[in-house]
Amino acid sequence: MSWPRASASRDGRHLTLMLLPYVVGLVVLVAVPAIATISLALTEYDLIGRARWAGLGNFRELIGDEIFRIALVNSLVFAAIAAPLRVLVALGLALLLHRRARGVGTARVAAVLPTAVPEIAYGLLWLWLLNPFYGPINLLLRAGGENGLTVLGRTPPQWLTDPTDARAAIVLLSLFTIGEAFVILLTARQSLPIEVYELAQVEDATGWDVFRRITLPMLAPVLALLVLRDTILSFQLSFVPALVVTDGGPPPYATTYLSLFVYRNAFEYLRYGYAAAATLVMLVLTAVILVVQWRLIRRYRSSYEISATRSR
Amino acid sequence: MSSLVLANIKAGYDGADVLRDCDLSVAEGELLVVLGPSGAGKSTLLRIVAGLEQPRRGRVIIGGTDVTNWRAGRRNVSMVFQNYALFPHLTVVENIAFGLEVRGVGRKEAHARAGRVASVVGCGDLLGRRPSQLSGGERQRVALARAMVREPDVFLLDEPLSNLDAELRAQTRDELKALHTRVGATMLHVTHDQVEAFTLGNRVAVLNAGRIEQVGTPEDIWRRPATAFVGCFVGTPRMNLVSRGSPLLPAGLPVGDITVGVRPEALRLQSLEEGTQGVLAGVEHVDVIGGDAYVHVRASGDSLTVRVPAQDRPSPGAPVRVTARPADLHVFDAATGRRLEWP
Repeated sequence: MSWPRASASRDGRHLTLMLLPYVVGLVVLVAVPAIATISLALTEYDLIGRARWAGLGNFRELIGDEIFRIALVNSLVFAAIAAPLRVLVALGLALLLHRRARGVGTARVAAVLPTAVPEIAYGLLWLWLLNPFYGPINLLLRAGGENGLTVLGRTPPQWLTDPTDARAAIVLLSLFTIGEAFVILLTARQSLPIEVYELAQVEDATGWDVFRRITLPMLAPVLALLVLRDTILSFQLSFVPALVVTDGGPPPYATTYLSLFVYRNAFEYLRYGYAAAATLVMLVLTAVILVVQWRLIRRYRSSYEISATRSR
Repeated sequence: MSSLVLANIKAGYDGADVLRDCDLSVAEGELLVVLGPSGAGKSTLLRIVAGLEQPRRGRVIIGGTDVTNWRAGRRNVSMVFQNYALFPHLTVVENIAFGLEVRGVGRKEAHARAGRVASVVGCGDLLGRRPSQLSGGERQRVALARAMVREPDVFLLDEPLSNLDAELRAQTRDELKALHTRVGATMLHVTHDQVEAFTLGNRVAVLNAGRIEQVGTPEDIWRRPATAFVGCFVGTPRMNLVSRGSPLLPAGLPVGDITVGVRPEALRLQSLEEGTQGVLAGVEHVDVIGGDAYVHVRASGDSLTVRVPAQDRPSPGAPVRVTARPADLHVFDAATGRRLEWP
């Protein structure tokens, strides 16, 4: 029979054809810019004059740059707080809304909706929400208090003017755009076998036991994946809010994150080489964090497997 | 360990009854098998006992106490699910100890007890493994051990053998029987497999379309099926139903609208040379299954299946004579399906 081989070669041609758009996109949108960034990082370039070879000068300058150091720390702190919190919020909502009940559909839509709002609009909305004078959040916090203080007699957060409060505001903003993680956890929860939960019911397990001993461990692989993803994402996630809501401030650079630092240097100070160098640092940092997290997850998993195979 | 009584249980949604007026009692230490086709309501019955579903009417009584309104966890029953419902992220010993630990037994003691029960069931050497590393039969043992470890009042088994291949199923069936004899627990076992029901059960309850058609010893159910459904459902190949006017039937049957059943092995075939009595019939086709042959014949308008030893089978197309002993005939009321005693 000759046609299986013919079809195999045709399959191969089909495969190439189908993959082509993706490969072209990958080359044009990822590979070429990546190479450009690496070469750009070794030069001084302001878009007008000729690029000038700088060697590792940009990187040396980054080490001494106070603002870069602040941006780096801000980004790491943001990732460390926002990534786990975001997954936690998504998990809470998913566990709350995975059952069919009255109003659940609406609530699910509400949970996903903020993620669908364009980022700039979302940022502007928060600018109003966080306004110290007429913003609804502080109106609510001041309710019942006197002289602009909360009920407890404290000054309400100065979201846009106090450095710590501004950082908290950026984290707060990120906690509502968890639509994707919410949908993933919702389906993950719904795909867990119902018999396991019925068994727990017959065994008289409490809600807490069910969560701790069944739901959490069974969702652990998905949760780990989401934390990994959100860590990478957090470098981009902080960009638009910092640009639109806090403008990188309040001083001293309280919400200047790496992404904003790169943006400022490239598009406002026209230092493309310097910005490219900072981008590379950001990339390497992301890679290192990912490797560390991946190692931790693998160690957790293999400790399971070792104890399992030992008894064989 | 306690007795179990279901009184007048009705379940289902409006207009769609899953169970209708079910009465059933399981004596202390008895293994009662509920046998029925899929969709008969077997699982619902079990889930009502477990407390996973509420009946619309009727009571569930365990050990003399009405537990109808008790939550599942308070009833002290344990359940083996069809797919075993093992926790994939826990080891065998953790799976078995789960029920003890959530009930507040310390980890160390729970694991010790789990280990003891595991060796009773024959999975004592698997304690450190995870469910994904177990074969179907091993998983089944773990599920059984998990059900036993709490020493519940009643065991509920929902088709626990149906996910095993034929050979393993037969072996596990024997082990389950031996285990029941040894432990002496009250067990309610649900299955659609009549061989399983007959080999395991002290008594068998046949369930059809939400109604319990007959409760009795396996022999009772075989010899004196209470309804036409029971007669047809039990036995392979199924019981032949003969029309009223067939010359196969003797005189003196009850008058009125009746259905007469006769089992394939109760019919006798003779070649035309051998006998002069019986109904003339033509052999349509013959299936040989191991030592037996199922001979499909057509006799005066009725299609009948006759089971004969394979070496005695006639060839297709051959004329034969069919006879049936009057004692082997089961007579049912055609309208209600209920058995009529005769003569």
